[in-house]
Amino acid sequence: MIGFTLTEEQVALQKTARDFADKYMRPYARELDRMPSPHFDWKIIDRFAAHGMLSFFIPKEYGGLGLDAVSCAIVCEELAAACDGQQGVISGSMLVADCLRVGGTEEQKRKYLTLLADKKGKVGAVGITEPDAGSDMQSISTRAIRDGDGYVITGAKHYITNAGVADLYLILATTDPARKYAALDFFIVPGDSPGLSLGKVEDKVGQRASQNGDVILDNVRVPAGNLLGRPGTGFLVAMQALDLKRPLMAICGVGIARSAYETALDYSKKRIQFGRPIFHNQAVAFALADMATKIDAARFMTWRACHLIDQGLEFTREASMAKIVASECAMEVCSRAMHLMGAVGYSRDLPIEKYFRDAKALSVIEGGNEIQRSIVAEQL
Amino acid sequence: MVYREIGKRIQQAREENGLTQEELAAKLGCTQAALSNYELGKRRLYLSLLNEMARILNKPFDYFMDWTVRKEDDSVSRLLLDPELKELLVEAARLPSKERKLVLDFINWRNNQP
Repeated sequence: MIGFTLTEEQVALQKTARDFADKYMRPYARELDRMPSPHFDWKIIDRFAAHGMLSFFIPKEYGGLGLDAVSCAIVCEELAAACDGQQGVISGSMLVADCLRVGGTEEQKRKYLTLLADKKGKVGAVGITEPDAGSDMQSISTRAIRDGDGYVITGAKHYITNAGVADLYLILATTDPARKYAALDFFIVPGDSPGLSLGKVEDKVGQRASQNGDVILDNVRVPAGNLLGRPGTGFLVAMQALDLKRPLMAICGVGIARSAYETALDYSKKRIQFGRPIFHNQAVAFALADMATKIDAARFMTWRACHLIDQGLEFTREASMAKIVASECAMEVCSRAMHLMGAVGYSRDLPIEKYFRDAKALSVIEGGNEIQRSIVAEQL
Repeated sequence: MVYREIGKRIQQAREENGLTQEELAAKLGCTQAALSNYELGKRRLYLSLLNEMARILNKPFDYFMDWTVRKEDDSVSRLLLDPELKELLVEAARLPSKERKLVLDFINWRNNQP
């Protein structure tokens, strides 16, 4: 059975998320985007926490709303449409939650998913990337050395979303570099651990409201029980969590594209040239028709991937396809919207240029689109 | 590449257990085609399924992941630096082969507990 109609609950959720985004995100988007780096506005977290936006993806039994993947996508589209930079803060926590759900013991889930669902506003960060290791995880050099009843972790993580902001880090480290993938493990590291510090903060092109930076681990000691799940599972947990997160990255592209398209559509109906709105020129109307078509296609591909996740079916290929299509759709729509609006679109007075900069990140981060194509190709 | 290597080990373990793809697939609750894709590395294998495979095929989880460096001698020498493991090996060597297998079965079972 194939259906594209949202349930009553999903429609209500969509409205709630849109109202929240319009009231508590959109008004701050421009100001946050233009803050000189490094800067992080903690009020973002306060606003999210006050309206349950940091826990909708956490299972009910751990204090969250327990939304399924399709419903999470519906919410995330609204948040990203308002400001994908602010949405990035939630995105960092979502990846932590996915890792915990996939690989954590029941005790770890109860302790740390509950922490992320805390109404006081707690966020998480996953540390995988290093200066010399990203998609190639076997090159990870952060070491975790067993020492008595714990592990001592030393290394540096790079470009980490919510670095310096997170209450909880999941750090991928090797317990024995010679054993490569077999020795990779996630370690749960509280944000206030002695030896954990924020390094260089990235001065990003877009998504400037969220903070990405280096996380330095200098002999950080954690109890043995902070190794996520069972030893040797870090690689598989990371891959599965990134796969699960991929459609939500895709839907952010849909949200950004939708905002750019709506801005251009509105402009084209108000901008009068030669005695009529420019929308009545086929060249303009067709461009908008193309944008609307591609946004719908990207959204439906993303919903398909989410639906497969919710049904417990194989979804890897479809998730990668969705990310490719949606991230490239976002770039194309932003570019065409800017072109269609001429000099006004190229000005920083309107948000098109922000959408453009925010969109670019989606084809680059959490597995660039070349990686996504290789995932799809592997399964052909 | 990673999933191809894991797939090879699944195939190896399945054959050691004398199971066909159909038989293992039935135990896992997936189709033979899906299992074939896992063995070929064409389909991503997730943690819970690999845990289940390890349990059914009576192999430690590490068996499927520790394929990049197979310097058995080096790794065994390293392990033998631990006096407890050394004693375990010496004592196990004194057991008849059948009883050694029982001990090994217990260790594999224990390693497969979550």
